[in-house]
Amino acid sequence: MKKKGMSVTSKQHIAGWVYLAPATALIVVMSFYPIIQAVITSLKTGSSANMQWAEPIVYNYTRMFQDKLFMRSVGNTFLYLLVQVPIMLILAMLLAQILNNKDLKFRGFFRTCVFLPCATSLVSYSLIFKSLFATQGLINSILVNLGILEENYNFLGTAGSAKAIIIIALLWRWTGYNMVFFLAGLQNIEYSVYEAAKIDGANGWQTFWRITVPLLMPTIVMTAIMSINGTLQLFDESMNLTSGGPANSTITMSHYIYNNSFGQGVANFGYASAMSFFIFILVAILSAISMKVGDKRD
Amino acid sequence: MKKKVLSLMLTTAMIATMAAGCGGGSDAGSSDAGSADAGSADAGAADAGSSDAGSADAGAEGGHTLTAWAWDAGFNIPALQAAADDYKANVDPEFELNIVEQSQSEDIENAITLAGSSGDYSTLPDIFLFQDHWIQRYVADYPDAFIDVADADVNWDDFSQEKLSYSTINGTHYGFPVDNGTVIFAYRVDLLEQCNYTIDDLTGISWDEFIAIGKDVYDKTGKYLLSMDGDGNDLVYMMLQAEGGSQFKDGKPYIVENETLVEIVNKIVEMAQNNVLYLANEWSDYTDQTIVGDMVAGVMNGNWIIPTIEQVAENSGKWEITSMPTLEGGGKEGYASNGGSSLYISSNCQNAQLAKDFLAYTFGGSTVTYDGALTNGGVITTCISAGESDVYQQGVEYFNNTPIYAKIVEMGANVPVVEQSDYHYTCRQYIAAAIINIINGADTMTELQAAEDQLNFEMGN
Repeated sequence: MKKKGMSVTSKQHIAGWVYLAPATALIVVMSFYPIIQAVITSLKTGSSANMQWAEPIVYNYTRMFQDKLFMRSVGNTFLYLLVQVPIMLILAMLLAQILNNKDLKFRGFFRTCVFLPCATSLVSYSLIFKSLFATQGLINSILVNLGILEENYNFLGTAGSAKAIIIIALLWRWTGYNMVFFLAGLQNIEYSVYEAAKIDGANGWQTFWRITVPLLMPTIVMTAIMSINGTLQLFDESMNLTSGGPANSTITMSHYIYNNSFGQGVANFGYASAMSFFIFILVAILSAISMKVGDKRD
Repeated sequence: MKKKVLSLMLTTAMIATMAAGCGGGSDAGSSDAGSADAGSADAGAADAGSSDAGSADAGAEGGHTLTAWAWDAGFNIPALQAAADDYKANVDPEFELNIVEQSQSEDIENAITLAGSSGDYSTLPDIFLFQDHWIQRYVADYPDAFIDVADADVNWDDFSQEKLSYSTINGTHYGFPVDNGTVIFAYRVDLLEQCNYTIDDLTGISWDEFIAIGKDVYDKTGKYLLSMDGDGNDLVYMMLQAEGGSQFKDGKPYIVENETLVEIVNKIVEMAQNNVLYLANEWSDYTDQTIVGDMVAGVMNGNWIIPTIEQVAENSGKWEITSMPTLEGGGKEGYASNGGSSLYISSNCQNAQLAKDFLAYTFGGSTVTYDGALTNGGVITTCISAGESDVYQQGVEYFNNTPIYAKIVEMGANVPVVEQSDYHYTCRQYIAAAIINIINGADTMTELQAAEDQLNFEMGN
């Protein structure tokens, strides 16, 4: 039985919708429905067995701004963001530039080495850093034996050094990952552009800033957005490397949300959902800003 | 034609996958329970010698089988096993207890949170072990997960009232006490001897004298006289209880205006700054690095810490225990209790009468159970009559052949009852953070005020 009245275009339309339907249905069920439920949950309070509408309805949203611990976790996260993301992106770009050099020997080997940290799982590398920097750990032994430190230093038990270690760990883990994007970006830049610059008498520094960086802009924007997004949701390092300590000085927003929802004896899902939406809004704003900044089209 | 067959097959495969996926979603609760039981069936079978691990939950109505969740294969599980053997030998020959080992106490807390949040309590076992400091919070949050056991055949007066004060909620009994959290102060007598002290010199002293001795011990032996987990600092609670005080007053935090608490915090800071106290970064550092790693000459905690101390085989015979120092000193000994757990019956138990009878007979005061628990797991009772058994009078080789169990039971009788709170651990966390900051140079009162504010904020005061 063929529907004779149907035109080719409308047949194509229907076919299109039919093909889209399964995926759409899955996205609605798996993503949109939970998002709506999370909004509803974020407006409720009380034990998770018996949640009540909050009084007033935005209670969870106003509460977080009076919560000093949450504000501290926001501060910590932004510290990681502001220190780690720029260092990481510049390092990644420099490494990509070096490893893109056609005359470099064992290029593939070095590229693999720099990328390798990304193959480790977040939890295991956090645990490795934790044992490296433990009071009786390898780094302490080396520094004491070299005479740099007089006695073993409690790196993870001191607020400043614990934050520094999280940043170092993040750099180690993610620089190679971003470098790969820059390498791919560099492949797309015509070699003739560099030749032209050379003929015009540009030195390496000028070539880098006047040619490489502008032509890499889309990649830079993309890696920046991904890094900002990733850092705002930072969880594994805070959870496994320092457990948020000492005295909550390294706790991140996601870790605090986790503590509020799955931490011992709390199960404060309403408040946790509200804080998650706060992060969601932050990610949206920061991504919008970096897209605007990176957008060089006239 | 071939293409049509191929596309048909692909479509079928896709629909089948989706159906399987959705099906899995709709009864996630029950499949969780199934896999939880199946996953730990090894442990259960090994411990209880039972082969029907998976089916223990269902169809137990009127049967002789119960499922129990507990943690710590070296401590709580031997105690449960002793109870099961006791009940089987003396009451019900067909009785089977299927013990499912959990890796830590948190697993059971999370299982109850999950069951309560989803409203599906069918995932819970018949009996489960639960931490004393958390139980009031959980009964308040998830009242449907527990059943009260006030009508069980137990002489409640035969228990330490301090222990029962946790599991008694609004005057109703919910749990059966298992272990005893009485705080011991264990010292390495060989190291004390090197510094010309005996254990008697450390009994009934003040914290100031303790600090003086601690400095001396550190100078001469390089070992700290005390260690604790810095983020989960139990010292404040224990030292305060020894003075008869609490961090709470009439359900509200009582921190800044509590002079005893402030003094205790000052003492802790002084200890940490003078190498008398080592604050580890976390719990596993506390046990593995400071105690098993042989960094300390003294350990103060609930007596469940004893198996950890005993892990260092070469120090056997070098330890002895005594009571805690106090602020006042001059012969006044400190007694406190920290941690410990009790057994509860879940609302999912199909055979509540059997569970009550079993627990009332065994942990309600059976000497056979408690003797077995002590011999196999080192679990010390809070049941007064069971504590008079001969097993308790024996010397323990690791502790220089002194009868430490009798000593612990004796000390346990002196522990003062203090105000408890649902927010015990939250309070501990904030005060611990304050102490770390004070040690690093922050102002004491500002930090304690911040801790109190944060706690009030969390409690919604």
